[in-house]
Amino acid sequence: MFVAGNLEMNKSKKKYSHELTEHFFRNEYGKIVSVITRYIGTENVETAEDIVQETLLKAVEYWQNVGIPENPEAWLYTTAKNLTLNILKRKKYHKQYESVIVKNVEELEKINFSERLIMDEQLKMMFVCCHPSISENSQIALILKILCGFSISEIANSFFSTNETINKRLVRGRKQLRKNKVSFEIPNNINENLKIVLKAIYLLFNEGYFSSKKNELIRYDLCIEAIRLVKILINSNSIKNKADCHALLALMYLNASRFEARMNADNSIIEMEKQERKKWNQELIQSGIRHLNLAIREEKNSIFLILATISANHCISPSFKETNWEEILLLYDKLVELEDSPITRLNRSVPLAKVKGNKTAIAELQKLQSNSDIGNYYLFHSTLGELYKKENEKNKAIKQFKKAISLAENKRDLDLLNKKLLEFVPN
Amino acid sequence: MKEFMLFIRSEEKPKANLSPEQLQQHIEKVGGFIKGLTEEGKMKSAQPLEMAGRILSYKNGKIIDGPYNETKEIISGYYHLLAKDLDEAIEITKGDPRFEEGIWRVEVRPIKKVEGIN
Repeated sequence: MFVAGNLEMNKSKKKYSHELTEHFFRNEYGKIVSVITRYIGTENVETAEDIVQETLLKAVEYWQNVGIPENPEAWLYTTAKNLTLNILKRKKYHKQYESVIVKNVEELEKINFSERLIMDEQLKMMFVCCHPSISENSQIALILKILCGFSISEIANSFFSTNETINKRLVRGRKQLRKNKVSFEIPNNINENLKIVLKAIYLLFNEGYFSSKKNELIRYDLCIEAIRLVKILINSNSIKNKADCHALLALMYLNASRFEARMNADNSIIEMEKQERKKWNQELIQSGIRHLNLAIREEKNSIFLILATISANHCISPSFKETNWEEILLLYDKLVELEDSPITRLNRSVPLAKVKGNKTAIAELQKLQSNSDIGNYYLFHSTLGELYKKENEKNKAIKQFKKAISLAENKRDLDLLNKKLLEFVPN
Repeated sequence: MKEFMLFIRSEEKPKANLSPEQLQQHIEKVGGFIKGLTEEGKMKSAQPLEMAGRILSYKNGKIIDGPYNETKEIISGYYHLLAKDLDEAIEITKGDPRFEEGIWRVEVRPIKKVEGIN
């Protein structure tokens, strides 16, 4: 018995000693859930998730003892397919799946898990998760849970929230899917829905990029996921006008390129002026510029396009001082035309100060404060404080930083603000 | 070299709540541990056990066939280990990264050496 056992172990050792790529399980989760949902219906998406979880558990049990198979994807897909067929065929589920059973069972049995199929089903899932009837919070929770393979507590961690809150968002989202009988397909008015999908993905990216949560790894993961999802949109044959997708992807690549340089070892933020530019990821910058060029071709002005171009201007500048502030100011002027919000005008004040002087920017900000509720935002006072500081108006600067500190909400921002204040009041 | 059976015990379906990312990390850690021992010639076999099966017992003149999981704790797998002595077997077992997950108990039992059989 021992001898035979050993031989088998050696044989399988040869076949089964491969490695898994990073985040393999997480990515495969979303892919397989998408494909299975096609066969059991959007209203049963939770069952699809259970099937995939079961599949991964089986994989763990088998692979940890015997090693990773040569084609881990195929192993997972076959297992998931068989589990799904079992469920579809079992009598007790017939009521729930009545309408889908016969045709889909035949199709599923003959399925070919091509890359194209998997991309297409994920695309449909994206539109399902971003159905207009679902709130933005729930859309993002659904995307992270279903498409990105995050667990509820991983999502809660990255949003500085609780398991209960996230679960509620998922439940509400799934309820809307059932209530509206959302079908698993690309919507007819694809352009409208595409806007919603892109917005959700952008929010997801920003959560990762600007997050106040200490856990850096999961924040970067959110950025990676957002990028991966937009790439699916870009690779799809069903979307004709991809300018916005290219613009968003450019924006994300360009922002992500500065990710490493933004944080200190102690998790505090380094402002752009002080970032070590050689830590900026050149590969990501190149990818960003490539997609920016693809977006510009369509000659359609969009918010993502302008934001991406601004980001590109920063990325290609060898130093803060040499940044093309005139160009950036022009871009912000265009941005204000498209979206005249207090925050946009606040952001515009930075290049404005560089081009037209601090006093002009200060005047603009004072006007902005009297015209809007931007005075409730800590970053407004922090920005104004910096301008006063540059003009050597010490007391006014201190007042602004103190106001900013009273409004700031998370520790990382507070730390930065306190540091600035200490520069004036060192004790 | 002596032989040991290690029974991996935990409450039912301990990995059910792990996220895909955590499951992958589990494979990489524990799989790496098992692979290392196998290459050193210390692991004769390691297998998971199905969460199904029966317990057969004899009572009042008949064989009774009952469910296997009457207790909350379940054996989900085993290792068949080779080591110099119990101390070494225990040291090896302590190196199992699954303990980081906090929910496992591993029972280490020497296999009885009986003259004439093994």
